[in-house]
Amino acid sequence: MKTAAGAVSVIGEVLRGEQVLEGDAARAWVAGCGRARRPSGMREGDGGVVGRADGWGPSSGEWTAGVWPEAILFPESVDEVQGIVRAAIEAGVHLFPAGCGGWPGAGGWGREAGAIVSTERMDRVVHYEPADLTLTAGAGLGMRALDELAGRNGQWLPMDGPGCGDGTLGAAVACGVSGPLQGRYGGVRDNVLGLEVVTGDGRILRVGGRVVKNVAGYDMVRLFTGSRGSLGVITRVSVRLFPRPEADVTLCFRRGAAEVVEMARAVCTASFPVAAVEIAGGGRESAAPGAGDGEMVLAVRLLGGAEEVGAARARTVGSVGADPDEVLVAGDSAAHHEGRTRWEDGSPVVARLAVLPDRLGEVMACAERVAGVVRGEVAADAMRGLVRVKGSCAPGREREVAECLQRARAEMVGWNGSLVLSAAPREVVAGVGWGGEGGGGAGLTDRIKALFDPHSVLASRCP
Amino acid sequence: MIPVPIALKASLTAICGPDGVIVDPDRLLVYESDALTAYRHRPGAVVLPRTTDELRHSVREIARAGLPIVPRGAGTGLSGGAVALGGAIVVGTARMNRILVIDAPNRRAVLQPGVINAELSAAAAAHGLYYAPDPSSQTACTIGGNVAENSGGPHCLKYGVTSRYVTGLTIVLADGSVVELGGLGREAPGYDLVGLFVGSEGCFGIAAEIEVSLLPVPEGVRTLLAIFDRIEDAGAAVSDIVSAGLLPAAMEIIDGPTIRAVEDSVFAAGYPTDAEAALVIEFDGLEAGLDAEAERGAELCRRAGAREVRSAHDEAERMALWKGRKKAFGAMGRIAPDLLVQDATVPRTTLPTILKGISEIARRYDLVVANVFHAGDGNLHPNILFDRRDHDELERVERASKEIMQICVDSGGTITGEHGVGLDKKHHMPLIYGPAELDAMWGLRRVFDPAGAMNPGKVLPDGTEPGGKAGGRGEAEAGVAGDGDLPRGLAGAKAAGAGVVGMKGLSGMDASPA
Repeated sequence: MKTAAGAVSVIGEVLRGEQVLEGDAARAWVAGCGRARRPSGMREGDGGVVGRADGWGPSSGEWTAGVWPEAILFPESVDEVQGIVRAAIEAGVHLFPAGCGGWPGAGGWGREAGAIVSTERMDRVVHYEPADLTLTAGAGLGMRALDELAGRNGQWLPMDGPGCGDGTLGAAVACGVSGPLQGRYGGVRDNVLGLEVVTGDGRILRVGGRVVKNVAGYDMVRLFTGSRGSLGVITRVSVRLFPRPEADVTLCFRRGAAEVVEMARAVCTASFPVAAVEIAGGGRESAAPGAGDGEMVLAVRLLGGAEEVGAARARTVGSVGADPDEVLVAGDSAAHHEGRTRWEDGSPVVARLAVLPDRLGEVMACAERVAGVVRGEVAADAMRGLVRVKGSCAPGREREVAECLQRARAEMVGWNGSLVLSAAPREVVAGVGWGGEGGGGAGLTDRIKALFDPHSVLASRCP
Repeated sequence: MIPVPIALKASLTAICGPDGVIVDPDRLLVYESDALTAYRHRPGAVVLPRTTDELRHSVREIARAGLPIVPRGAGTGLSGGAVALGGAIVVGTARMNRILVIDAPNRRAVLQPGVINAELSAAAAAHGLYYAPDPSSQTACTIGGNVAENSGGPHCLKYGVTSRYVTGLTIVLADGSVVELGGLGREAPGYDLVGLFVGSEGCFGIAAEIEVSLLPVPEGVRTLLAIFDRIEDAGAAVSDIVSAGLLPAAMEIIDGPTIRAVEDSVFAAGYPTDAEAALVIEFDGLEAGLDAEAERGAELCRRAGAREVRSAHDEAERMALWKGRKKAFGAMGRIAPDLLVQDATVPRTTLPTILKGISEIARRYDLVVANVFHAGDGNLHPNILFDRRDHDELERVERASKEIMQICVDSGGTITGEHGVGLDKKHHMPLIYGPAELDAMWGLRRVFDPAGAMNPGKVLPDGTEPGGKAGGRGEAEAGVAGDGDLPRGLAGAKAAGAGVVGMKGLSGMDASPA
């Protein structure tokens, strides 16, 4: 599909003037998203990122190397979204679904020309019944606003994937990336009850519902969750909430890498429940405040009733055979973990290495080698066996980085695991691929894409 | 019934051995229905592979013969999902019953689909682990069947349903091809095909190997039984407990008619027969704090109107408190010869209103409705008791059933929370989905099964396939594109002279179906 001259204007006719940004205003909106989230010290254009498979933490450098969107569209209703999709099909324009623009790569931005469809104005809470522990809202509802609303009733939505804290509900669901709380509360997919979606062929689908158990028909909620806008624009979401735990405590242990991994495994295989077991601070730089040279930090998060958390704390100490070096309580604990959701932000290279959790030590070692090449850091979710590496790739080193990632991927595949890139310069991607393509379900994936987006109007790739 | 071609019989026998193929009409009777006996169709043949290879070769041979395929686990389903329409070949997974791996350090298991749900937990117990989804038929139902139906159970209030625990699948598609999906320890970017497959009711393919995650066995359990004089108060207590921020592992309500049926039976559990509701509440987790949680739960029940709250002090007492709930369905056979087991989910807060509405409908149609349900999830099982020989009563049952379903949907609920759609509820699908959603589901079905051979005539309403065509070879040959020979609801059951739920079948399962 090629973008026809003026085609975006045709799409814009579906909306009022103030619902469309074009030209410099569109660039400013995109660049503004990037500035808000770029870590300090990062230069414009660092790394020349062209797109992020997982979709968070943009820098405006992404856009200098990629293709700028021709317009940003702000529909205010599902009918307007449907009108946009139908007009886009007619005019031959690519659409990139988005929330507030915090995770641009999620919709394949910067790879092709087209218009961004932002659902940020569709932020109304449609239904919230605290006693049902369910909430239905427009996709544009901010996660912070949701958290504040639910918090007033002692509830929360424990979605803690990278980027979740600053994004919209719709984007969190579209990205479908779960964080360390997955083991305790289920992943994003487990807590989405229903969706309203405008598919790539302009149909409005309302799938699932707002009850916590529902097996009527095929589970399209799970299909659209995590589909990164490649099948449709999510316009409304129903989610399951949870009682906010009475106590929130994080125990921090600082040790060398091998010891930290051993302690993490001890906690993960113990019989008492923990909410999250994370390791940070590996690699060239320390990501863990307070960690000394060569030290890493094991952070064990405990959630629940005060008495329960107190007991779990004692059991944790017993499992690792040491008292914590630091204890974060209540707001400090929550803030620590929310900060972890922004860990990847703005990094030109992000790789996710996943294996069965009992291979954590080997994968950490592999990740450390990658971190050495990309001059970055390592962090791990020990309960899931997921290790992330973030770093950079100076111009001219793309081949070296790609080869390093290729070797690491081969190791991971040898352990029946995977290495998937979330962000990388285009030359690196050309050399090593994003990862996760192909696979046994590839033919099914292509047919599903064709079913819901036969004109290839939407983001062309679900990484 | 379409006779099975001799060549197909020979090839299936060559693949699975003579004991793995059933064509004898008398032996096929066992496979003519699942636990919802209203729908009975004798299959053309049954094939029982033992391995993934035997499974895929069998499916390929059936595909070559152009016959439809009906996957089947233990046959404990309650939606008619395993009924072989139009002489379809049943592919049973009962002999694929090996647990291949219990990987305790990674808290996962890999198993064949015919493994019995409770046997997986029993095997994992040696490692201090268990498999969380616990449908009440767990001593009989298979994990493969649970995957097909996305089964729940009493404890999914806290722990979630099957789809949360299935991390990887090896599936055999209708043409015999094998596809691997997901896998713990691998990030699988792209569409959640594992999640899409779970709950697809055998229409997308057959799970040949299943990887699931396991949980550590909770350290402590506290079980309460609260007795109410009004069922609405029991429903309100459930909402109050959730609103208070408590998250019990299970909250189950047994209503007055059910209590009396249980107490009149060999399953008597000591519930007071003048009560109108009993609420079983279970908390689990670390021992520390459990007593306080249980006391808060008990206090909330008292405030909601409970006249008595009992608590179990040991495992034997716990089993006693659960007994009335677990044996409820078996006990109903004393009240009436037939039972229509309904399954719908409503928002929790509407429970008191819906329960009152159900009572009103029952009164208006002069029927006995017994409610046994997963109250914490809002997952209702209003069960209508009747005698199928009374045609007038049968008509009233059908009308009442529809009205009950309608009020559940009107409250923001859905037509099935855990039993699935199958044959029984496909005509209710338009209550919750419009043409666009049904079209999309047809499309997905064709993504996995372009020929329409897998479990034809299930889930999606007749006549709704885009283009109005008869569908693939499955639908065409099963004669189910239109009304065909498919009995619809109870009127169909009556026409076919069939019962609805065979009470003998249920009581023989040592577990209630819901």
